[in-house]
Amino acid sequence: MNKTLFITRPEHDDTTHYLSKWGAKTIEFALTKGINVLDLPQGRASKKEVESMLKKQNPSLVLFNGHGSTDTITGHHNEPIITINNSSILKNKIIYALSCCSAKRLGVNCVAQGAKTYIGYDDDFILVYEPEKITKPLTDDTAKLFLDPSNELTFSLIKGNTAEIACQHSKEAFKKNIQKLLSSEATEEDASLARYLWWDMQHQICLGDPNSSF
Amino acid sequence: MSTEEEVKKIVIARLKIMSPNKKISVGSVGEFDRDELIESVKKGDEIGKKMVQIELEFLRSFKKGIFA
Repeated sequence: MNKTLFITRPEHDDTTHYLSKWGAKTIEFALTKGINVLDLPQGRASKKEVESMLKKQNPSLVLFNGHGSTDTITGHHNEPIITINNSSILKNKIIYALSCCSAKRLGVNCVAQGAKTYIGYDDDFILVYEPEKITKPLTDDTAKLFLDPSNELTFSLIKGNTAEIACQHSKEAFKKNIQKLLSSEATEEDASLARYLWWDMQHQICLGDPNSSF
Repeated sequence: MSTEEEVKKIVIARLKIMSPNKKISVGSVGEFDRDELIESVKKGDEIGKKMVQIELEFLRSFKKGIFA
C-alpha cells in the first residue's frame, strides 16, 4: 500500500505564496518516491476540506503551510483549520507545521490527543524575501535561505528518516546557511540576515515521539 | 541614555544595513520593509519589540557559542 502525504497550501498573501511554492517542491519530491499526495491548495485549504480529507483518507504524514498562533493553524484567508477543538483528527499522525507559534500549545495538545509527533515552531517563523521576485518565488535566493532548510525536513521525512533525524537535517541546513552568511566572502548586508535564520533554527521543535517515521 | 534606548540604537543600526528592497515576514503579524521595521523599533510596538528580542537572543548566542 502506498504511503500517503497530506499538505495544505493556502495562498493569499506574500508569505503564504512563498510557502505554497516551496510546498509544491515537496510534492514533486514525494511523487518521485511513489508517495500518494493529497494536496489542498489555495481555497481548498479550508477547515471543511481538511477535516473531511483527514478523516476519509487517513494520511500518515501531514504538512501544514500557513499562518498560525499558539492555538491555531490557519488555511486560505486565515481560516482556522486546526485548533484545540479538532486536534484529535491528527491522532496517530506525524505532523510538520510551517506555521508560526503553533508548536507552543497546539502542538503539545495534538500530542496529548494522540498525534505521534508534532514538529513546528514555538515562536514566529521569520522569512526574508525579495518582493521583486514575487512572481517567480523559486528564483528568490533570499527566501531560499529560509525555506530550503524547512524543505530539508520534509524531504528527510519522505525518505523515511525519523522525526528527530529530519529535524537534525533541517537544523544542519539552517546552520550551513548561517555560516555562509557569516563568512568573510559574504557582504555586510547578507550577514545581517543570519540572526533571522538563527531564530528560526532555534525555535523549531519536535514534540512527541522523536523516533516515529513515515 | 537608558539600556533600552541603547539596545534600540543597536537594532536600528543593524536594520539599516538591510536592503530597502527586501521584506521581512514576521509570522501572522505581517510583512515589513526595512524602514517600517526601523519605525516600529523606534515606537516600541509589537513588531519593534520582536526585532529587539531577536537581536538580543542572537547576541547572547555568541556568548555561549552559536553552534553549541
